[in-house]
Amino acid sequence: MGVIVKKVELTWLDRSYVWPIAQGMIITFRHFLKQIATPTSKRFTIQYPDMKKTLPKGYRGLHELKRFEDGAIKCVACFMCQEACPARCISIEAEEFSELNFTQGFEEKRPSVFKIDMLRCIYCGMCEEACPKDAIWLRNEYEVAAYDRLSMNYGKWDLINTYAGADGKARLTQSQESPATPSRPASTSGNQAGPS
Amino acid sequence: MESVTHLPGLSAVMIWTLLKVLIVFSAVMGIASLWTWVERRGSAMLQDRIGPNRALLFGRWQLLGLPQLVADGIKFFFKEDQVPPHVTKSLYWLAPVLAFVPALIGFAVIPFGRDFTYKGVPYHLSILEPGNSMGMLFPLAIGAVAVYGILVAAWSSNNKWAILGGMRASAQMVSYEISLGLAVLAIFMKVGGYDPSEIIKDQMASGWFIWRQPLGFLVFFTCMFAESNRLPFDFAEGEAEIVGFHNEYGSMKFALIALSEYGHIITASALIATLYFGGWAVPFMPEAPVLLTILFFLIKLLFFLWVFVWVRWTLPRFRYDQLMFLGWKVLLPISMANLIFNAWLMSRGH
Repeated sequence: MGVIVKKVELTWLDRSYVWPIAQGMIITFRHFLKQIATPTSKRFTIQYPDMKKTLPKGYRGLHELKRFEDGAIKCVACFMCQEACPARCISIEAEEFSELNFTQGFEEKRPSVFKIDMLRCIYCGMCEEACPKDAIWLRNEYEVAAYDRLSMNYGKWDLINTYAGADGKARLTQSQESPATPSRPASTSGNQAGPS
Repeated sequence: MESVTHLPGLSAVMIWTLLKVLIVFSAVMGIASLWTWVERRGSAMLQDRIGPNRALLFGRWQLLGLPQLVADGIKFFFKEDQVPPHVTKSLYWLAPVLAFVPALIGFAVIPFGRDFTYKGVPYHLSILEPGNSMGMLFPLAIGAVAVYGILVAAWSSNNKWAILGGMRASAQMVSYEISLGLAVLAIFMKVGGYDPSEIIKDQMASGWFIWRQPLGFLVFFTCMFAESNRLPFDFAEGEAEIVGFHNEYGSMKFALIALSEYGHIITASALIATLYFGGWAVPFMPEAPVLLTILFFLIKLLFFLWVFVWVRWTLPRFRYDQLMFLGWKVLLPISMANLIFNAWLMSRGH
């Protein structure tokens, strides 16, 4: 069964080349005028280092290991994320801590080592889905780069403090939607200035 | 001007000529290099992009991306001047000059302002004085010579892609020259001469040729695109492919070839303005002041230069067989019909 291709009958005006070319030139010139009248910060191009796109909610960027209000890590080293990870980039070593209980051994379990190899990670969010304690989040940082492979191996403290302030505490109170660089939302209503 | 005429061997005429050469040369070169900027920024605007804006003058002033010109110039000058081992050296070095010179000297006969008389001495605003018996034949002949620049560059490169590009381009330029000549012939016939100042005077007397010969204008305009190797006829360069006559060129030699293209479109725009849009003529002002005529010539020139950019970023390239079809089976009959129709009109008038 073939697809019936509609043959377009060109009028003599269309076949004259001149009129369609004029139409095309009017279209491009309209784009020209529109683009010239638009300030640079509102044009389609996002000039990356100076302007950043506002990411949609649920964007899967660099991971963060969440902490409780008192600063204790939420992760209980259950290995669910490590199991779920299709890229096998998470490696966890567990340890026990807090008081010794004579009937049950140690009370709590936590990771002593929690490593994510960012070179292998595919940012699929499976670890986030698998985590029973809501302890690992994928958030909106995406500029993950380094000069050598070793620095792309993020350890526990890196992951805890990915989004933290200099004192390591700021993130506990700070709201999440405040990018430091001027950015433009995905809709067209941006108003931040960038270089023209 | 009298104060310098006592210098040995220099007459006022020579100084005036030198001055004109200097002014026209610097103006053409200035516009050519400026137009590389207009091309890039303009194309960006036409395509909803931003264009080059990262080069800063002294790390500070952005000036709408104009410092990019300086940056490019510096880059071209200081780049390693690589000569591939397989090229024919002498022709390889000659080709950029062969491409560049015709692009510049075609402008020589074009009057860019009204003649004026100062202290009883008549001055003409074109490098070659009117009545030099070459007239409009000169830029057409020079335009034909421009093929050599491309062909020599392609041939001396000893590169099959370069040869392919060069052959396509030369075939294109040669075939469009015929329609071009026939279109201009209709104007020469109407005017009764081929001196540009005569053509302009005739247009001032009885209307611009765009109204009197619109068909001829269409042919001439299209051929000018083909002659200057601009899109939609950029078979010489073929920038979307690797087939192009200047494949093996780099650094300043490439810059010369690239600038020669802009020289060509400046000459082409000047020709279009002179032949079909009254040259320096100011509409409704037969006795316009000299500066105003220069300004009007410049406006017309820059407008057609802009049209060259505008068309380039609107139309895709023709296929090679379409190019040949358009040249031989469409434009040539049209220009012939235009010529014969005008001849018939003139014969009725007698």
